[in-house]
Amino acid sequence: MTDANPTSTDRDAQTDTERGAHSETTSSGVFSRLPDWVGRYRIPIGLVLFVLLLRPVVALPFLLGFESVATTILIIVLFVAAFNLLFGYTGLLSFGHAMFFGFGMYGAAIAMSGHGPAPELGFLVGAVVGVALAAFVGYTLGRLTVGKGEIYFAFLTLAAAEAVYFIANRDPFGITGGSNGISGGAQPGWIESFRGELTVTLIPWPDALVDVFGWLDDWYLLVGLVFLLAMGALWQVVRSPFGRSLIAIRENENLARAMGIDTARYKVWAFTISGAFSALAGALMAINNHGASQEWLSVFTSGDTVLMAVLGGVHYFFGAVAGVFVWEFTADYLTDFAVLDLGFIAVDISRELSHWQFLLGAVFVVIVLVSPNDGIWGYVRAYAARGWARIEEVLR
Amino acid sequence: MTDHDATARTGDADATAETAPEPTRGEPHARDDREDDQPDPVVEPQAAALATTDIRRTFGEVVAVDDISIAVEPGELRAVIGPNGAGKTTLFNTIMGSLPATAGSVHLDGEDVTDRDEHERPHMGLARSFQSNELMADQSVLENVRVFVQTADRGAFSFDLFRDHRDVGRERALDLLDTVGLDADPEALAKNLSHGDQRRLGIAMALATDPEVLLLDEPTSGMSPGATRATADLVQQVQSELDLTVVLIEHDMDVVLSISDRITVLDRGSVIATGPPESIRENDAVQSAYLGGMREEL
Repeated sequence: MTDANPTSTDRDAQTDTERGAHSETTSSGVFSRLPDWVGRYRIPIGLVLFVLLLRPVVALPFLLGFESVATTILIIVLFVAAFNLLFGYTGLLSFGHAMFFGFGMYGAAIAMSGHGPAPELGFLVGAVVGVALAAFVGYTLGRLTVGKGEIYFAFLTLAAAEAVYFIANRDPFGITGGSNGISGGAQPGWIESFRGELTVTLIPWPDALVDVFGWLDDWYLLVGLVFLLAMGALWQVVRSPFGRSLIAIRENENLARAMGIDTARYKVWAFTISGAFSALAGALMAINNHGASQEWLSVFTSGDTVLMAVLGGVHYFFGAVAGVFVWEFTADYLTDFAVLDLGFIAVDISRELSHWQFLLGAVFVVIVLVSPNDGIWGYVRAYAARGWARIEEVLR
Repeated sequence: MTDHDATARTGDADATAETAPEPTRGEPHARDDREDDQPDPVVEPQAAALATTDIRRTFGEVVAVDDISIAVEPGELRAVIGPNGAGKTTLFNTIMGSLPATAGSVHLDGEDVTDRDEHERPHMGLARSFQSNELMADQSVLENVRVFVQTADRGAFSFDLFRDHRDVGRERALDLLDTVGLDADPEALAKNLSHGDQRRLGIAMALATDPEVLLLDEPTSGMSPGATRATADLVQQVQSELDLTVVLIEHDMDVVLSISDRITVLDRGSVIATGPPESIRENDAVQSAYLGGMREEL
């Protein structure tokens, strides 16, 4: 079992651990015919499928009808998954994760806008510095706060993030742009922007190469590649012995300590890793959004991150995917259409929909009531397992 | 018993328990009942598998553990008994480091571990099971044991990031489940086990740390007489198979009298008697302070 699913009632999830994809307690004959590696690597397989399918799906005319949101979703999924390494897997609630995202975003944007030592390397330098800074701050802050108890940890991280927000607001040395953020010129040389569409000119492909699908200069696919590498790394952390120690700490910290786990040190490193990957997501967002803006540093970003993680299901690796997808999709969907066409009557509801956060809040409440602890992903899994069992029965 | 340990610690042959700690604490203790102590073979803290020397733990005004000195020989099975609130579990907690000792010291195999962190002690050969079923309720039975096999193997902290956890410690965890006679499905969730099986799982988890000294806090609590007997047998079997030193908190007198080599009786935070089962059974101080009307049962 590669993602932790402690609260699941889904027996499949519990039994596929050791003896290949599914063991004898599983009713699913369909899965048992698949080779072992499918079970063992189903999360990376799922991630690849997600990257490949996300854009065509959201671009369907009866869904959103435009593609650009797909890139945003990938980046935020990475952010929420990094946050969830700390929240869902280690059991530490950080209320200031926006600052880590901001380190990556501002680091990249500052370097790209010509403040860095080597403008031509701009983005790369900025991203590396941002990620390193996030890791350093995560480690230092972790050392100071992880032993303080849950509530204090939440508030100390919140305080730290607020401090970062106000520093950015003060515009030190004129590099953070104050409340305007950073926009003009914040683009690496290998990105071309045309009517909001980004194309990548990083690699001078030989002319002989015919780009049938338009994939070679596709910004979405470049983000997808980074997304897969980063999510793959997070998945490896979660399934490694290191990650299992984190889960032991979440499940029963007193027990973990009594059994010889140095809980404080694991927490500090979970915080560090989580911060670094959050900054990577921020750096990608700096290109995607043509710069850095202060709202990404605000407490609302931190809060949304928590909500998206809970919405998706914090104990599942795919919880971040589900939570962010539903959140972003709902937000875009609700703000995108203005006329409710029922066939016989069309109602203009654009005014009501300007309060889309309210509707999103309602969705959140319903999900939490229907599937407490497990979120959307846990609910879908349990449902899918029941569905499979039913199909098996019918086939037999 | 207490006298001997205190003597051994200070290295002063003439010192007694009454005089040695008094200058530092300066508070008189009513210890008349000590006269009835059965003399223990002298075990110096340095030679003992586990020794506490005048260990003390207070909660505000309450003295939960009051200068307890015990020395457990290697290979011994020691029972710790006493009425509720006698300080048995607090004694375990101070030995394990879950609660820092207010005063006194803990020696493990001759080494002073008083200032070691709680998470360091399991790596020095000290393990415990809990009075209540402390486990990872939402993880599989196997994972409950496997993760601590991994911890014992890799140390208190390890950047073991490039492996699949399923390839680490699985065989040994299954062996341990077998050792404690837990025949439930290893992939079942720990919370779905019966109470008795959860107690067994607790012992398997403690064994996962590969201990030399094993502290068991009421391993038979809440069990039927049959299961209690089976657990007592298990404790004996595990001890001899793995060559362990065992300290056992236990309420069931049949178990205590039948399997322990020596018994330490606590009352209100102090040791009131230590000795082999037959002498404890006859001990007047124990009779009056603890067993009361239980003479029949003994």
